[in-house]
Amino acid sequence: MIRKNYKYYIIRFIELIILIIWVFPLIWMIITSLHLEDKLVSKEFHFIPKNPTFYNYTKAITSTYIMRWLFNSLFTSTLTMILTVIVDAPIAYSFAKIKFKGKNILFWIVMAAMMVPFQVLIIPLYLQFNNYHLINNLMSIVLPRISLPIGVFILKQFFEGIPNSLEESAFIDGSSRFRVFSYIIIPLGSSAIATVTILSFINSWNTFLWPLIAINDTAKYTITVGIANFQGTHGTQYALIMSGAVLASIPQFIFFLIFRNQIVEGIAMSGIKG
Amino acid sequence: MIPGNKDNRDGYLFALPFLIVFVLFMIYPLIHGFFISFFKWDILSTKVFLGLDNYIKLFSDSKFYISLWHTFKFVLITTPVLLFLGFVMALFVNSKSPFKKAGENIFFLPYIFSMTVVSTLWAWLFQKQYGLFNHLLAIINIEPVGWLTDPLWAMWSVSFATFWWTAGFNMILLSAGIKQISREVFESAEIDGASYLQRVKRITIPLLKPTIVLCLILQTIASFNVFGQVYVMTGGGPYGKTRVLIQYIYETGFNYFKMGYSAAMSYILFLIILIFSVLINKLGESNYD
Repeated sequence: MIRKNYKYYIIRFIELIILIIWVFPLIWMIITSLHLEDKLVSKEFHFIPKNPTFYNYTKAITSTYIMRWLFNSLFTSTLTMILTVIVDAPIAYSFAKIKFKGKNILFWIVMAAMMVPFQVLIIPLYLQFNNYHLINNLMSIVLPRISLPIGVFILKQFFEGIPNSLEESAFIDGSSRFRVFSYIIIPLGSSAIATVTILSFINSWNTFLWPLIAINDTAKYTITVGIANFQGTHGTQYALIMSGAVLASIPQFIFFLIFRNQIVEGIAMSGIKG
Repeated sequence: MIPGNKDNRDGYLFALPFLIVFVLFMIYPLIHGFFISFFKWDILSTKVFLGLDNYIKLFSDSKFYISLWHTFKFVLITTPVLLFLGFVMALFVNSKSPFKKAGENIFFLPYIFSMTVVSTLWAWLFQKQYGLFNHLLAIINIEPVGWLTDPLWAMWSVSFATFWWTAGFNMILLSAGIKQISREVFESAEIDGASYLQRVKRITIPLLKPTIVLCLILQTIASFNVFGQVYVMTGGGPYGKTRVLIQYIYETGFNYFKMGYSAAMSYILFLIILIFSVLINKLGESNYD
């Protein structure tokens, strides 16, 4: 029953303009990457390239380590996300369903760890990994990211919602705790597990300060550090830098298209129930 | 529970894999870092115990004060704006606009790009000679602005890029909160003749209070931990005018290898963040009823 007068159309028009402005930097990133370098640094302003070219992409792929960096990020983030679920899900189950001594204290210690900013750990972690001879090794990026308290929290909340009767009837049939966990809890908790998996992947993919410290070898950089390094070494080659930025974003963009709902749900879950 | 007699054993067994990683890479470094903060140590030579000297030295280190002030400045600029932007976006996403679905996607989209991609992109938009913003200003005859090179502008420019990057995160949090408020409350208020702004002020904001407080805490923590955007976009320049505390911690530790001093600073930052989180939480609770 909205009366569609002129005011309605003006508001819709303003909304549309704001949305276009908001998305425009991303479009500009793509437009820039299709320009020839000298067109960008000339006195006159070229908005749309006259002859769009993929030259910058070929150059980025052939003359830099960008594909290696992408691989490194994919490798470390995938491994982190798998290991995160492997260690987070069992403890979340024990917090949700098993009565054991010291459970409450343990739970609060894990939750309190959410308050610790990762930045506080960089000096001691560096010394620790230096001792293990794992500096400049991709495992140094994976290991400190596995125990994810927020992941434990989300899984625990979800597991608590699974009715006890399901477990009990399985116990009566003689199933072990481990069987119940892997055949009842895991399948029923798959949506929460998906959320944690995705949060862990994004978390790991976007980490910057720690890989910057832990990796010295250019070929072993993750994509976030690599792109920052790009900026330093190709300072004024804007078309090249932007094509690198586009290449660096493709995996995340695909990831977003597939898992949009789970990502949004994950953020909402970590918020609402906190 | 049926396997009641084995509950203790099972509980610990299921917790064990997490606890091993947690103790090794979280608890141990947290304690070890605190320990190191009482020493003078450059990794190569042996540790020298200083007691509280590192912490005392902080109070007379002007570079520490200045970078802490820059971090505070970033927090003061970004926290209110990001909360406000996220809230307006969340209202829009829950409005009757035909663009609300598109809006939800577009506002959230920047957040999925990594910080370094966003920073390099905005460094290019802000570029003084050839960047888009100065090209647009040239059309209306305004002299090029040194967005990232002028001390007056640099922190604002970095903040602006951050608004674009992370406002969508707050939108999702707040929007999820708004969706939990029952529709009937809004509808009956509408029938009673409350205008849109009245409804936002009298219903949405009060009922959203817990989510707003949470969002404020998360945002304050995130803003205190700022490093990447500044590091990539300005490198801390011009003339150190945007060097934030984490960059100073990083440089002290990994360029000058003053591990103890660097660790001491990171614990002070931790303490500041903790105090602010508790304060905001208390403030939120006291206004609650």
